[in-house]
Amino acid sequence: MPMSAFDQSHAIGISAASTPPQSRLLDPGFNLTLRPMRYAQFYDMYRDAIRNTWTVEEVDFSLDVNDLRNKFGPAERHLIERLVAFFATGDSIVANNLVLNLYKHINAPEARMYLSRQLYEEALHVQFYLTLLDTYLPEPEARAKAFDAIEKIPAIRHKAEFCFKWMDSIDKLDRIETREQRRQFLLNLICFAACIEGLFFFAAFAYVYYLRSRGLLHGLAAGTNWVFRDESGHMAFAFEVIRVAREEEPDLFDESLKADIAQMLDEAIACEQLFAEDVLSGGVAGLSLKDMRQYLEYVADQRLAQLGMAKRYHARNPFAFMDLQDVQELTNFFERRVSSYQVAVEGEVTFDAAF
Amino acid sequence: MSTTEQEIAASTARSTANQSDSRAPQFALTPPHSSGTMAVTKRNGKREPVDLNKIVRAVTRAADGLFSIDPMRVATRTISGLYDGATTRELDELSIRTAAMLTTEEPEYGRLAARLLSEYIAKEVAGQEIHAFSQSVTRGHELGLINARLLEFVQANARKLNSALDMELDRRFDYFGLRTVYDRYLLRHPKTRKVIETPQQFFLRIACALCEDVNESLELYRLMGSLDYLPSSPTLFNSGTTHEQLSSCFLLDSPDDSLESIYKRYADVAMLSKFSGGIGLAYTRVRARGSLIKSTNGLSNGIVPWLKTLDASVSAVNQGGKRKGAACVYLEPWHADVEEFLELRDNTGDEARRTHNLNLANWIPDLFMRRVEADAQWSLFDPKAVPHLVDRWGDSFNAAYEQAEAAGLASKQVKARELYARMMRTLAQTGNGWMTFKDKSNRACNQTAKEGNVVHLSNLCTEIIEVSSQGETAVCNLGSINLGQHMHADGFDFGKLADTVRVAVRQLDRVIDLNFYPIESTRSSNLKWRPVGLGVMGLQDVFFKLRLPFDSVEARDLSTRIAEEIYYNALVTSHELALERGAHPSFADTRAAQGELQFDAWGVTPSDMARWDALRENIRKGGLRNSLLIAIAPTATIASIAGCYECIEPMVSNLFKRETLSGDFLQVNKYLVEELKQLGQWTAEIRDRIKLAEGSVQDIKEIPERLRHIYRTAWEIPMRSLIDMMAARGAYIDQSASLNLFMESPNIGQLSSMYMYAWKAGLKTTYYMRSRPATKITKTTVTAAAAPALAPVATQEQAEAAVFCSLENPEYCEACQ
Repeated sequence: MPMSAFDQSHAIGISAASTPPQSRLLDPGFNLTLRPMRYAQFYDMYRDAIRNTWTVEEVDFSLDVNDLRNKFGPAERHLIERLVAFFATGDSIVANNLVLNLYKHINAPEARMYLSRQLYEEALHVQFYLTLLDTYLPEPEARAKAFDAIEKIPAIRHKAEFCFKWMDSIDKLDRIETREQRRQFLLNLICFAACIEGLFFFAAFAYVYYLRSRGLLHGLAAGTNWVFRDESGHMAFAFEVIRVAREEEPDLFDESLKADIAQMLDEAIACEQLFAEDVLSGGVAGLSLKDMRQYLEYVADQRLAQLGMAKRYHARNPFAFMDLQDVQELTNFFERRVSSYQVAVEGEVTFDAAF
Repeated sequence: MSTTEQEIAASTARSTANQSDSRAPQFALTPPHSSGTMAVTKRNGKREPVDLNKIVRAVTRAADGLFSIDPMRVATRTISGLYDGATTRELDELSIRTAAMLTTEEPEYGRLAARLLSEYIAKEVAGQEIHAFSQSVTRGHELGLINARLLEFVQANARKLNSALDMELDRRFDYFGLRTVYDRYLLRHPKTRKVIETPQQFFLRIACALCEDVNESLELYRLMGSLDYLPSSPTLFNSGTTHEQLSSCFLLDSPDDSLESIYKRYADVAMLSKFSGGIGLAYTRVRARGSLIKSTNGLSNGIVPWLKTLDASVSAVNQGGKRKGAACVYLEPWHADVEEFLELRDNTGDEARRTHNLNLANWIPDLFMRRVEADAQWSLFDPKAVPHLVDRWGDSFNAAYEQAEAAGLASKQVKARELYARMMRTLAQTGNGWMTFKDKSNRACNQTAKEGNVVHLSNLCTEIIEVSSQGETAVCNLGSINLGQHMHADGFDFGKLADTVRVAVRQLDRVIDLNFYPIESTRSSNLKWRPVGLGVMGLQDVFFKLRLPFDSVEARDLSTRIAEEIYYNALVTSHELALERGAHPSFADTRAAQGELQFDAWGVTPSDMARWDALRENIRKGGLRNSLLIAIAPTATIASIAGCYECIEPMVSNLFKRETLSGDFLQVNKYLVEELKQLGQWTAEIRDRIKLAEGSVQDIKEIPERLRHIYRTAWEIPMRSLIDMMAARGAYIDQSASLNLFMESPNIGQLSSMYMYAWKAGLKTTYYMRSRPATKITKTTVTAAAAPALAPVATQEQAEAAVFCSLENPEYCEACQ
């Protein structure tokens, strides 16, 4: 969901509700009051998320196995193994931070409803990647190795360390009392929204969509579509929390915070680029390191824009296959299942309705 | 082109700068690549530096006659995606993909990509020392792929055939079409998996395999190579090979109500699926749940467990790696298991009672529709109690049904409208549960003149209407005329159409004799009736070229006239064939033998009755070679090859993505692009707005209203007009057509009105109910970019609002109706 739509549709409700200065989103405590609802947008997001429910069982991996066996060279095989290794641990880290930090400090019951839903989605994603891993890696040893990624693969360890650094920074925080603590909390949230879900995952999606643009791994791509949709929702939620916190306490977003954010993004890009060097070490035509870096910078600029900050890298999206992601699909039923049909249908039999 | 270079240089400089000012560069990064230092590995294993100019020259060579493309852009982008040490093969592939990706901006890039691919394929074939057409066929035979008949034919006429091959015809392909041919149709070496024929050699091979003399085959080759006409996929896959199964459709009568018969059908279905056929299978004879099984004194679990097994069997048969098997099960709505049948494709509920791979269709007698209209009761029966109902239609069915009701044989009674509403819900939720009409299909079928010859079902795509029985499995061979290729300066070219029909009918008739029949019941049936299914594709292209709105009276009249001319010329050709080779053996049992033609069943009088009366008389005397001639199939894959819109369908979106086994491809409406270019409106901004609006131009007010009217999508034109157009052409379609219907957010009220109207209009069959996703994937590159240059906020809001209204208020949304 684009930020702008939320800005406009909910601006009035928020400013009216936020007049009493005592009830701010990041104030400590466990608010239980749903009526009157202070942040209706979070409740809407919760309901939207429910409507997007999918299950791992709907994903058909049968063609993927054939692709891996017959169409993948060593370079691509290496790419996919690294990617699965990252996915397998990435969502778990996000879920942990959600429980240990975000849920504790975002003090609105409607927002906590969304977070509960997000937690379920993170578990669903872990289930998806676990199923993927079991399907792609038939050898128990290779599976164990993939889950050991954090320890064994330096490029993934770097990414994990980056995450832990920002998790640990507020680990000891039980209540947010001071301005400095709120600032620290915001940095944690921004790290997860802009760097982990908004950059690391977006890079991972790019690898998947690159493969799909070559007609490979349709099962992975189909599941990733849904994961991608969920992650877009998580980001939209996090950015909305940031926007509200900022509106309620405008001076929180000062120059030093902005400098910290810029540095954080630089670090995240460097981490992800290091990962790219490993992932692409076999040489994959159509995915050069240079293009990957440019893509990361392009994505980072988008995150800055979502935070209302100036662009920093001025890069353009080099991956045309990511454009494909935006276009309506038309599936030939001989080839794959059409999964886009309506869920609820209402009405009664009549013979004079317009059609 | 210098801008592109500058951009690349600038971005390289930026990357370097960022690296140095990045505050935590604890790990070394690989320096960015520049084309100066990069090398490629050539096919002979030697390395050489990447030469930008060489790539630009290659692209420019392929781009002659294309004026809107920038070869330098393709070349620099290609190099940018390359890694050090990549092979020249990878370089070629990348340049093709790079050009293809630019298609959304400028359709000519699609042409360029197609030409680069054409050269790539030629290199692959020539690299195996295959140059002339006859060499390709010989190699295919050596590898065990090509049959001896074709080899002999080609060797006997090698000189003439080799010199007839026209490489220039490759230029007619757009990228998606050629890619499809390359990925799935060209013969491949069984071990190396390299293709052993070029696209033109492929077409010529098909033509030689389907004809008896050289001149005939060259005539057919020109038609296919020009993309004027294409046979169906099974014919394209298998002609001239060692397994010449060339038919598209098989229609199997319901298994008898016995274990042996049910299991024999599984085997029949598997054998027919194996060689690319689509299956229609009736199931109405099998007893319902709760019916007594005498031998074991147990109670039957009904048809669902049998269909579950069928489901697994169908998905297990992979059609030679080319596509998955597919089948559609037909059930009459008086079968007592019909309610469970309608739930077979639900996403929720007991998985043991779900069949995700089967398509479902309702085979509906008029009596049911009348009871729905009258809001009356409807009786459900166990077929064991009324085994005769399956073989009756019309008045005879009505009488038998009401007699059974009066005799108290019904297992259960429901309100007809409640069952109808369930059918509508299944259509809305799954797109499946197609509405096909038993009585009209029988009444207007040439094969049902003699009592006992009954149509029991349609096929996988609801366009075939043929009789079947326990001993007769109906078969149909298909081919489609690309209507957009039959135009001249003054409009539609009916003369060229007549010529194409004659060649096509002869080819389709020949397939009947050549065909490899996987099971015996197909052979006997096909030789007796000799039915064929000539169809069309690209009707929408004709309308775009003539700037006719799809729902205009002019469009409907033209469509009807095209149908009439095709039917007339097909009958003429089939009659000529009957004079040359004899009428089909069961001609005396047909309505045509009594002088009755398709339009008579519709109560329609053609405009030029004199020529029809003359033809009628000729047919009565000299017969027809084929009992059925016309069927409009969905043409999903061959329309892609021909680069036109599918069959008789309106365009679904001005911009959409095709996801296929060969990867994802963008399709942009080239007619709209041309119009917008002329107006100077084909800009990045308009493109993004079309993307945001899911391929619609209706809210882009800068585009003139007249154009917006023409470029409405299938979601935006009234379905009543599609049904009217189908009913008007129906008088000249002796089988049926795969008619999809489209509704953004359907509700029961709209659907029940629409299908009641379709029945009253006299349609034999309908196909998918197409609706749109309830939720949509977030736009990555448009909305998230939030870039100032992109879509204005107003449009974004509208897009959001449209999504919102269809989600929250499917009933009250005026915008969707």
